[in-house]
Amino acid sequence: MNKVITINLNGVAYQLEEAGYEALREYLDHAARRLEGNPDKDEIIADIEQAIADKFRALLGAHKTVVITKEVTAVIAEMGPVQDASAAGPAAAAAGARPAGGTPEPEGSGGLRAPRRLYRILDGAMFSGVCNGLAAYLNVDVTFVRIAFALLAFFWGTGVLVYFLMAFIVPVAETPAEKAAASGAAATTEEFIRRAKAGYYEGMKTWHDKQAHREWKRKFKQEMRGWKYNFQRSMHEGAQQWQQGWARQGPPHPYHWVGMGFTLLVLKWVRLLALALLIYAIYSLAVHGGVFGFWLPSGVPAWIGIIVAVMLYQFVAWPIRALRHSYYYHGRPFWGFGAGPLDGLVGLAFLGACIWVADHYSPAFHDWLQTVPPAIHHTTDAVRNWWNQH
Amino acid sequence: MAFSDKFAPITKGLLEFLVLKIIAADKVYVPDILQQLSVTEFATQEGTLYPLLSKMRREELVDYEWKESESGPPRKYYELTAKGRAQLRETMEFWSQINETVKNLGKK
Repeated sequence: MNKVITINLNGVAYQLEEAGYEALREYLDHAARRLEGNPDKDEIIADIEQAIADKFRALLGAHKTVVITKEVTAVIAEMGPVQDASAAGPAAAAAGARPAGGTPEPEGSGGLRAPRRLYRILDGAMFSGVCNGLAAYLNVDVTFVRIAFALLAFFWGTGVLVYFLMAFIVPVAETPAEKAAASGAAATTEEFIRRAKAGYYEGMKTWHDKQAHREWKRKFKQEMRGWKYNFQRSMHEGAQQWQQGWARQGPPHPYHWVGMGFTLLVLKWVRLLALALLIYAIYSLAVHGGVFGFWLPSGVPAWIGIIVAVMLYQFVAWPIRALRHSYYYHGRPFWGFGAGPLDGLVGLAFLGACIWVADHYSPAFHDWLQTVPPAIHHTTDAVRNWWNQH
Repeated sequence: MAFSDKFAPITKGLLEFLVLKIIAADKVYVPDILQQLSVTEFATQEGTLYPLLSKMRREELVDYEWKESESGPPRKYYELTAKGRAQLRETMEFWSQINETVKNLGKK
């Protein structure tokens, strides 16, 4: 099961498999490039699309509504590469061997003969691709151009101005065709085939032509840097989108506000009541040693009672706070300060209170607790002796 | 029939002449031209034929009208112009001439 893309050929919609669409897109782009400069270009393209549509229609029927990739490539092979007839000379070979005119000369046959254009190249650029583009235009290494700019900027000050001017004026090479034009090579399939035949991609293994090898390495590194940059950028954008997706869950739907507002109001007052009780309890314990008829057992100091009261308050207030938080922040976990009843300082104090209670009420625990400090001293002495001896 | 590519320059050069001949015989749609050529040594493809026809139309050798076909949208229906007919006559003469040359050259 593959994804299907719907295209429009002369007013009728056809559905192609994704890979088939890519192949057809490439074929038509190739044709458009070949026909660049031909005054009838649009008409020829329309004719070609019509012919393709006819062939597609022959393949479709009531029970088959999608043109599969294999069929698309077969149709493209049937159509044949588009030859620009106006430039066809007697020496031009038949279908497909060589472009019949209009495309720039391949790079290998003398770099500057190709119609080069000055672009800013963002692949592998440091700032805005100015030096990169200029280096590709002049066919020198990027580092030299950057050093030249840096020197200009440092010594004569004009470098900065020139750089910014260029960054504004010089266009960015976006499409692969433009990128190829920037270094004067056709990005057509013929060019790639020619390169492969000329051992361009063997550049990693053999050293036949040192110049070409260096050139290839440089281009390759540039492309890799560009891909890495693009990949990082797309990852960043992806991450941003995820964050936005989280944040987009923001305030809850207005329909919920009415009932929710009432609930929140009630909860708020309950919590305030609990807080008031707590404060009163603290005061009462401190002054009278008891609250609401609960009298602390003898021997239990007031501060224990206070801590217990705070703990009770936390147990009551925490669920209320969590509810309110989830209403406001819809989905984010409640990790605020003092989130749980046993969190932070209150937890520590509660631990201390537990230990005290155990100490007070359980003789066995009390005795064990008495032995702890001497044991600690004993251990530290032993360690110190050992340290001094060695 | 597909002959080897070494005859490609010849077939490419003569293609326009043959297309003129086909259109002269009858008004045709483009698929018909392709079909007639497909059984000969000059079998070609849409990618070659459409640009060629558009060039011939620019040189006013052929002309087309939009004609409804049985299935689908209207198609271009090609016919020869007067200039095209003159060109065809001229090329026919040239063709018979070079035929003679080919026959007689190299003979003692």
